[in-house]
Amino acid sequence: MKNIYVLAEHRKGMLRDITWEAIAAGRKLSSELGAELTCILLASQPNTMSENLSSEGVRVKVVNDPIFETMNSEAIIKVLKEVLTPSGSYVLLMGASNAILDFAPGVSVALDAALATDCFSVETREGKLFASRQIYSYKINSLVSFKDSERVVLTLRAGSFPFTTSGGETKGAIENVACPVDSTSLKKRFVKYVEAEKGDVDISSADIIVSIGRGVGDEPDLDMFKSLADSVGGVLACSRPIVDKNLLPKYHQVGTSGVEVKPKLYLALGISGAFQHLGGIKGSPLLVAINKDAKAPIFRVANYGIVGDLNEIVPLLEEKIRSLKG
Amino acid sequence: MNIIVCMKWIPDTSEADLTVSPGAKDIKKDDLDFDMNDWDRFAIEEAAQIKEKVGGKVTVVSVAPEESEDMLRECLARGADEAFQIWSDEMEGGDGYATASVLASFINGRPHDLILTGTLAEDDGAGQLGGMLAEMLGIPSATLASRIEVQDKKVAFVRELEGGLYEAMEMDLPCLIAVATGLNEPRFVSIRAVRKVASIEIPNLGTGELGVGADKIGHAGARIEIEKIELPPEGEGAEIVKGKPEEVAARLAEILKEKGAIA
Ligand SMILES: Cc1cc2nc3c(=O)[nH]c(=O)nc-3n(C[C@H](O)[C@H](O)[C@H](O)COP(=O)(O)OP(=O)(O)OC[C@H]3O[C@@H](n4cnc5c(N)ncnc54)[C@H](O)[C@@H]3O)c2cc1C
Ligand SMILES: Nc1ncnc2c1ncn2[C@@H]1O[C@H](COP(=O)(O)O)[C@@H](O)[C@H]1O
Repeated sequence: MKNIYVLAEHRKGMLRDITWEAIAAGRKLSSELGAELTCILLASQPNTMSENLSSEGVRVKVVNDPIFETMNSEAIIKVLKEVLTPSGSYVLLMGASNAILDFAPGVSVALDAALATDCFSVETREGKLFASRQIYSYKINSLVSFKDSERVVLTLRAGSFPFTTSGGETKGAIENVACPVDSTSLKKRFVKYVEAEKGDVDISSADIIVSIGRGVGDEPDLDMFKSLADSVGGVLACSRPIVDKNLLPKYHQVGTSGVEVKPKLYLALGISGAFQHLGGIKGSPLLVAINKDAKAPIFRVANYGIVGDLNEIVPLLEEKIRSLKG
Repeated sequence: MNIIVCMKWIPDTSEADLTVSPGAKDIKKDDLDFDMNDWDRFAIEEAAQIKEKVGGKVTVVSVAPEESEDMLRECLARGADEAFQIWSDEMEGGDGYATASVLASFINGRPHDLILTGTLAEDDGAGQLGGMLAEMLGIPSATLASRIEVQDKKVAFVRELEGGLYEAMEMDLPCLIAVATGLNEPRFVSIRAVRKVASIEIPNLGTGELGVGADKIGHAGARIEIEKIELPPEGEGAEIVKGKPEEVAARLAEILKEKGAIA
C-alpha cells in the first residue's frame, strides 16, 4: 500500500474527534508500511479545519464546495472516486460514525476496494494488513485480512485509537483540489438538522442511573424499576430496544444515538453492553450489571456483576436497599 | 410503487453461550435459534405501511439457506406480496460484498422504486450491505432512517446522527433506504395470518437463474478473509457477586451503601 488516506469528518464547521482518532490509526499504518499519510477534507468552509490538520503535521487535500456543508453521501462517493482512483493502492481510514455509516460501503464499491467496518484494531505483518472487529452481538472478536486487494477501506471504532498531538513542529502541506463533480444535480439533498425533543427528565445530569434493557422482557413491570430508581434517589434510563418498543421516551435512551450520561453510579439491568450503548456512558462511574448471561459483554466493563434473572433480583435488591436506609 | 425488502436470516446470539468451531473461522451454530435480523423487522413493516398508504407491491428477498423459509413466510403474513429465497451451496463462506453482488443481480432484473434494508445485522455487525447494493445498482442510499415519507418521485426522510441530532433529507426515487430500529411498530402476526399465506409459493433461486458467475459468490466472491475468531480475552472484568438471590441482593445493597450510593 503506497498511500494512507484519512477522510475527515466534520459537523457544523468543526472537525469531529473521530477524525483525530483515524489520523492516529493512519500514523501507525503509515510508519509500519512506509506509506504517505494524507487527510482528505471535503468541506464548504475548510480553512480553520485544514489549518488544524496541517498544524499537526498532517498533509491535507482539500475539496471546497458548498455541498460539503454536511456529509452528503452521494457527493462524497462521487468525489472520492475521482480523487482517489488515480492513486493505485491505498488504505482509506474513516471513523465508524453515523455519518460515515451512510457512505463507507458505497465508497468501497465505487473504489473497487475491500471493506471492514467498525474495526477496533488494525495491524500489519510483513506488509500485509489485518483488522479486528466484533461479530455475533459483539461477543466474538474476528481478525480479518483482505485477500490481495489493492485498496482497502476501514472504518474505525471511536475510542480505540487514542490520538496524541505531534507537538506541531512541522506543518503539513495543504493542497486545494477543484471539486471534480457537479454537486448541484444530486439525487440526495440535505434539508435541515432536527434536534430530538427534550423531556421532563434530564438523564444527562443525573448522578445515579438505573438503566433497563431488552432483558426486561416485552411487557415489563416499569413500576418495579421506577421504584428501584427511587430507592437510590436515581433516574430511570434505558437502552435502545426499550425506546424502540415505546416503553420509554427517546430522551431516556443512553448511548451514541441517545443521551450521553456521566453518573456516579450506573446500574445496568438486562443490558448486554453493546458498544453503542456504552459509548453514551462517560466519566467511568461505578458500573453494576445484572444479566442472566455470564458472557454478556457488559461484565467485561462493569465493576460488579450479578449473574441471574433481574425479575427475581430487582425486588429483593430494592427491599435490601430500603432496609439499609432504615 | 415497487418495494423490495432485503431480509437477513441470522442466529440469535444475544443470550447464547457461544463456542468457536474447530478451525476458528466461525462459531458452532447447531444449537442456536435463527430468526430475522431485528432491524429487518422494521424494514418489512415500513414497506407494508408504505404500500398501505400509496399502493404498490412488496417483494422480500433473502440470500439464505432453505430454513429461512419460515422468516419469508412471516414476511408474507406481515404484508409482503411475494418472497424469494436465493441460495446455492457455493454461497457458503461469502461476505457482505458477495451477498450484495447476488442481490444486485436479483434486483437489476425487476422493477424497483424503493429498496429497504436494515441498517445493520447483529451477526456480522457490518452495516454494509445496503450501501454496497445501492452503489452496485447506481442509485442513491441512506442509512439509519428513523422516519420515511414517500412523496411524488422522491422520499423525504430523517436519519440519526449522534447525541440526539438528526438530519432531514430527501432523495429521488429509485433509491435504497436502510432503516433504523424504532421507526415504526412492527405488527403482531397471528398464526392465522401465517396460515393465510401458507399456499404462496416461495421460489428458491440459485446462481443459474440469477446469472451470477461462480467467481462472484461464496468464498471466491468475498473480499474479506476471516483469519481467526475468538472469544475476547477475559481481562479484568466485573467482580461477580455470587450466592442465592437474597444473598446477592443483600451484598449488592451493601456495596452500594459502601460506595455512597445509598444515603
Ligand atoms: C448506529 C447505531 C446506533 C446505536 N445507538 C444506540 C444507543 O444510543 N443506545 C443503545 O442502547 N443502543 C444503541 N444501538 C444498539 C446497540 O447496538 C444494541 O443493539 C443495544 O444497545 C442492545 O440493547 P440491550 O442491551 O438492551 O439488548 P440486548 O443486546 O438484546 O441484551 C439484552 C440482555 O439482557 C439479558 N437478559 C435477558 N433476559 C434477562 C433476565 N430475565 N434477567 C437478566 N438479564 C436478562 C440478556 O442476557 C442480554 O445480555 C445502536 C446501534 C447502532 C448500529
Ligand atoms: N443475506 C442477506 N439477504 C438479504 N438481505 C441481507 C443479507 N445480508 C444483509 N442483508 C440486509 O442488509 C442489512 C445490513 O446487513 P449487514 O451489512 O450484514 O450488517 C440487513 O439488515 C439486511 O436488510
